[in-house]
Amino acid sequence: MSAYRRIISTFRSLFRKEELDRDLDEELASYLELLTAEKVRAGMSPERARREARLELGGVEQVKEKVRERRVGAMTDTVFQDVRYAVRTLRKNAGFTLVAVLILAIGIGATTALFSTINTALLSGLPYQQPDRLVIGLKTIDGEMSGPVSRVDYFDYREYSRSFEELGALTTFTMQFTATGGRQPELVDAGFITWNLFRTLGVNPIVGRHFLPEEEDPGGGGQIMISYGFWQSHFGGDPAVVGSALNFDGNPFPVVGVMPPGFRFMFDADVWALVDKNGPFDSERDSHSHWVVGRLRPGVTMEQAQADVDAISSALAEQYPASNAGKAMLLTELQSYMVRDVRLSLLLLMGTTVLVLLIACGNVAGLLLARGERRLAEMAMRSALGASRRRLLRQLVTESLILTVAAGLLGIAVAYLLQGVILQLLPVGELGMERPVIDSTALVFTLLVSVATGVVVGVIPALRGTASDPAQQLRSATRASPDVKSSRLRSGLVVLQVALSVALLIGSGLLIRSFAQLSTVDLGFDPQNLLTGQLQIQVSQYPTPEERNQFFTSLLEEIEALPGVVSATVINRLPILSRWQDWSIWPAEQPSPSIQESFSAMARWVSPGYFETMGIPMVAGRDIAATDVPGSPDVIVLSEGVVRALFQDADPIGRMVNVADWRTFEVVGVVRDARVNTLRRAPDAAFYMSHAQMAQARAQIAVRTAGDPNALVGPIDDLLRRKDPNVLFANASTMTSVLDDEVADFRIVILSLVLFAAVALALTSIGLYGVLAYHVSQRLNEIGVRMAMGASNGDLLGMILGRGMLLAGFGLVLGVAGAYPGTLVLRQLLFQTPPLDPATYVVAVGFLGLVAAVACLLPAWRATRVDLVEVLRRE
Amino acid sequence: MAEGKTDLLRGTLDMLILKTLSLQPLHGLGVSQRIEQVTAGVFQVKPGSLFPALHRLEQEGWIEGSWGESANNRRAKYYKLTAAGRRRLGEERRNWAQVVLAITKVMEAS
Repeated sequence: MSAYRRIISTFRSLFRKEELDRDLDEELASYLELLTAEKVRAGMSPERARREARLELGGVEQVKEKVRERRVGAMTDTVFQDVRYAVRTLRKNAGFTLVAVLILAIGIGATTALFSTINTALLSGLPYQQPDRLVIGLKTIDGEMSGPVSRVDYFDYREYSRSFEELGALTTFTMQFTATGGRQPELVDAGFITWNLFRTLGVNPIVGRHFLPEEEDPGGGGQIMISYGFWQSHFGGDPAVVGSALNFDGNPFPVVGVMPPGFRFMFDADVWALVDKNGPFDSERDSHSHWVVGRLRPGVTMEQAQADVDAISSALAEQYPASNAGKAMLLTELQSYMVRDVRLSLLLLMGTTVLVLLIACGNVAGLLLARGERRLAEMAMRSALGASRRRLLRQLVTESLILTVAAGLLGIAVAYLLQGVILQLLPVGELGMERPVIDSTALVFTLLVSVATGVVVGVIPALRGTASDPAQQLRSATRASPDVKSSRLRSGLVVLQVALSVALLIGSGLLIRSFAQLSTVDLGFDPQNLLTGQLQIQVSQYPTPEERNQFFTSLLEEIEALPGVVSATVINRLPILSRWQDWSIWPAEQPSPSIQESFSAMARWVSPGYFETMGIPMVAGRDIAATDVPGSPDVIVLSEGVVRALFQDADPIGRMVNVADWRTFEVVGVVRDARVNTLRRAPDAAFYMSHAQMAQARAQIAVRTAGDPNALVGPIDDLLRRKDPNVLFANASTMTSVLDDEVADFRIVILSLVLFAAVALALTSIGLYGVLAYHVSQRLNEIGVRMAMGASNGDLLGMILGRGMLLAGFGLVLGVAGAYPGTLVLRQLLFQTPPLDPATYVVAVGFLGLVAAVACLLPAWRATRVDLVEVLRRE
Repeated sequence: MAEGKTDLLRGTLDMLILKTLSLQPLHGLGVSQRIEQVTAGVFQVKPGSLFPALHRLEQEGWIEGSWGESANNRRAKYYKLTAAGRRRLGEERRNWAQVVLAITKVMEAS
């Protein structure tokens, strides 16, 4: 048949349906008449002939339905019919529809919110030009990943590699400059980059220009680029900012460009200055502090670029064996590197959401099954009227699809709300990525999830609902007979729900225990009643080391004289608040070790009384003293970890150690290891030099207080204003809140997981309750008979409760078995908690068992309240 | 019609109807009676198969229905073969001949 004719026919059967149907009616009527007439002619009585003819025709409606089904365009037509009918049925059962749609909307909404977050964070590109061509270079030693790259090595890679359009770098640290000349000194975050980093990323300044290659050279001029936010807040968005200079630490820096709004890369910074190419800082090949970012040339694959880089690495290793033997640079896609920390949390939440959605599906499928049983008579009637089983199936699946698509639409609203929460809670936006939004991809995802959910919750109930023999159904239609298979299915669903819930509970439990462990972990110092902050003095005001030391010494004395202060101390980097800075250290009598053999520990310099203020126990020797100043012998205090590595636990007091080919120190004391970097790492090995001998202008301060540390922020600030208004005192915060921030992300993952587990638990109890309540209503007669035979309330209660607990028990066993492989995924997030932690399993199982018992109690209690007379009368 | 016979007729019913109508226009009952008569009762075409097939063939444009008077003055819908239907019958006949030939070869292979 030609396409043209097919289209015409389709339209004809769609729009002239009634005419066609009338025609068919007449045709069948005439068929009957002709047949009857023939039978009469053959000698039958007219009545008998009519009856026989009818029998032979075999049901006018069935024949009509068959003709309609075979018509061109029949699909389209019956789909319209199904939808109309489904909407009508759902509207008539508003309560059922509302509950089902709400349950599904929550499930679908949560899934969509997380999907679009994951889609943006993990699957979509970074907001840089052609982000899939961007790679990050990380140093490896003997093939093991070990972090940033040496600045000197970077310049060699940039010089000799042929695979990159641009190869840029930025330092792993940000500096805080004090901008002066304004009203008050102010800390500004600055990052150090190579001239071509922003070109590598493909992001251009909106005002002014990029850095120039020659500006990297010595005497290049110290230009800076500034962020959009800084431009707005400090220059009111004035384009004339280009060419003007900013004063940092007393030196003028001319501004050459302003970056676009929202731009950030790796760190928050308001000012970018150039890496000092030939400066003394970090000038060694074994000093590693640069992230290297490259843009692959068109057509160059990752493997080719890696081979290119490897060739340079081996050439460097040959030329500089002391610093470069075994060292290489590994290229990784920038995108996957940047999301590595949140990936697991997001995937975990996504997996959890899918579980919750499945549990919600279980409930709705259960509802549909129960409803299907009440509609058996309707189905039987429709099939008697000529509807084929396929048609009925399609009808029921259409109904559940309409339910889930409606839920999907509502779910989009839920997703918007939830995503706001997710974004506040998870540090996705801080990765330098766009703020996630619910975009078209997410909407398509929602649609797919809705339809898949519709099929999942619709098909089984529909198969069940249309499976029975219509004749038998019609005969018993007045009394809904208990459908054994269907109630078995619902029980199966509840078992699955219990299993999923207990698995979720176990997962949440393990994380909660990890969190508890993390919160109570022995830090190696005492975080209570400890105020922390940053201090910075102007070098121009205190040009000599003596003047600077004098300032810090007198300041600490004055702070200690304040009421409520126990003691005060300064250090270059406070634990947890500032990380790393690990330098190599070895006994002075040994030659400097190769990079592979070297031992590194955290380098810190402290004022006298640091260990006492922090509560880090002294093990041997003495503290840094007030007499350890420039001019007197350089001294050092080691933590036990360093002593173990360098002296195999022999007494180190009086021994000499070298620090990073820099200075030699005499060991004067030993302290315990403390958690210097993060909570999750084991206590770190560290060494402590004298703050006075380093003569720095910048420090972090720690004040031990008798009461609430926050009460001292004001007095210390006043003290500093009086002493020297140009001193900067910033970021005052208690150590406990520093620790809280440290575990904030983890707490959020746990909170969401607990929330999901609670939703799962609620849905499961509803499911369990529903199945049991139905079970009781089906067995009313039996219960009545048992009561008449003298069964006590206790017997009946036990019977129903036992049935419910049997279901729950199956689910628990299944869930516990399934939870173990699931918790292996969690392993990375766990802290001092084994994935098979027995206490967690016992508590989770016990708790769910208890909730299940409560959910079963109400139907069981109702069974005992059955009115014997009424039940028996109904029979 | 028994289920087994439906299977036998599946796919060939259209051809039988077209062939029957190629001799003379007939109404529905006429078509089924003619087929039953010619096959000496082997094939019985029940209304449940007949009418869907007739309407389908009409939609395909191979036959054309129009209301007329039957032999004993009753209104009935008569179907006649169109030009397209005649071509279609030719195709079906050739296909059928090939099928018969092929099956015969298989059955007579020794």
